[in-house]
Amino acid sequence: MRLILVDNLPDVRFNFYPLSLGRPLWELRCGMSSLADKLIAKIKPDSVAYFVPDYMAEVYKDQVKESVNDTAALAGDDLILVDPLVKAESFDVPAKGSGEVGLDENGRILYARINKGDIKKSTFDDIEAFLATIKSELPNVSCKLPTWEYVWDLILANGEQIMAEFAAAGRNGFEGSFEEPIAVRGSKKDVFVAQGVKVHPMVTIDAEHGPVYIDEQAEIHPFTRIEGPCYIGKDSILLGAKCREGNSIGPYCRIGGEVEESIIHGYSNKYHDGFLGHSYVGEWVNLGALTTNSDLKNDYSNVSVILDGRRGIDTGSSKVGSLIGDHTKTSIGTLLNSGSYLGAMAIIMATGKPLPKHIPSFAWFIEGIVTKGFGKGRLYETAKTAMSRRKCEWTPAMEVMWDAVFEMTAPVRDKAIKKGRRSLLK
Amino acid sequence: MATVEERVKAVTANVLKLNVDEINMNDSFTADLGAESVQSIELVAMFEEEFGIEMDEDAALSVQTVGEAVEFITDVCEQQGVEIEE
Repeated sequence: MRLILVDNLPDVRFNFYPLSLGRPLWELRCGMSSLADKLIAKIKPDSVAYFVPDYMAEVYKDQVKESVNDTAALAGDDLILVDPLVKAESFDVPAKGSGEVGLDENGRILYARINKGDIKKSTFDDIEAFLATIKSELPNVSCKLPTWEYVWDLILANGEQIMAEFAAAGRNGFEGSFEEPIAVRGSKKDVFVAQGVKVHPMVTIDAEHGPVYIDEQAEIHPFTRIEGPCYIGKDSILLGAKCREGNSIGPYCRIGGEVEESIIHGYSNKYHDGFLGHSYVGEWVNLGALTTNSDLKNDYSNVSVILDGRRGIDTGSSKVGSLIGDHTKTSIGTLLNSGSYLGAMAIIMATGKPLPKHIPSFAWFIEGIVTKGFGKGRLYETAKTAMSRRKCEWTPAMEVMWDAVFEMTAPVRDKAIKKGRRSLLK
Repeated sequence: MATVEERVKAVTANVLKLNVDEINMNDSFTADLGAESVQSIELVAMFEEEFGIEMDEDAALSVQTVGEAVEFITDVCEQQGVEIEE
């Protein structure tokens, strides 16, 4: 049986901006793994095929072994198609059974079970044609599977997901090396230190309120305190960090300062002091020293987030920090309000005051206004440099993808630039 | 209408807090007029506002002197159909 994951609904993708600008939705992380990892672990397919927005297909093809945007994968096997935002732990549809399409109240396909021979047509021009065909030819059933609605849902569920995945992994103990003195609070059964991990002296691992999983080759420097639930990804380094509960970090991150209830994708740095809480940080981000975000308003009311540059969305939570897109860099001393949105490929220079709550992708935020700055060419040069420092390559396909993102995000950015110009002219 | 040169000098004086009389066509924005990188960005923005044009950032920021800016902006105005006095 082949699992089909489709990411083709712009309105749905938008709710996960800026993190979904450069990756399919199932590559978002929560707990110890990605949404795709969770669905695959739950469904246990023989193979997987992916259908992503065209603009990111070439980049994604370089990242995975399985087929990407290849309609040939829609034939030759029984298929189970699952909306990537369905919560894996709640997905209870049997893989075997007669063909059917499960729809939510708005007609969105949450899953489809398609047996070989269910569909007369065997070739399709694109995934949309396939979806239209199965919807019209197979029985439609209404279903209510829980889904991730917004990117902050992932932040808020992170601790619980770590606990569930730690239990499912069934691993504990110290396989890596450590130097005394080290303090482990709580049960040692709730700690797993993988092979190749180096724990320096004067480290505290506090598993009293949740498990701690430190993945291969990670390095924990002195005076770091890690509170569970927590997942430290492969090859990440914690530099005397106050790593509070509910964090998923890495791989290949460098993290210092205070971090709480946050998800940080690979290759991002928050080397120095400063607080990051209830935040979701993309890849290749650098947070300058003393970059600090608020994740709680003084009146304890719900935090709102502006995804589109205009309208705030009530998150329903009193604790939401920042959403920070891939390749964005903040200067020293950057202050971020609760519910801040920093787009991808943005450059932020601190002003001494909290930033506006929405900074568009590719913006150069300088002297308190959004500008075009030195343009995207300079941002690509920086990305290339940052990636080469970690022996990764900035590819022509990446440039094409980010060019597409640049165009997609231009209307919001242009408005912000105009607003900035008006304030300059005053 | 003022000439492109006069307008470029006026914008430069305003952004860099200089007297227009102090600005010469051969002056380098950075070496002679003291523009820092952030001010270069502001200059490009203000030239775009002054002339009602869109400039390619990389090309605009490669301009070194006031005279080169006058020449560059004149070209962009012509390409984008913006009326100017030479």
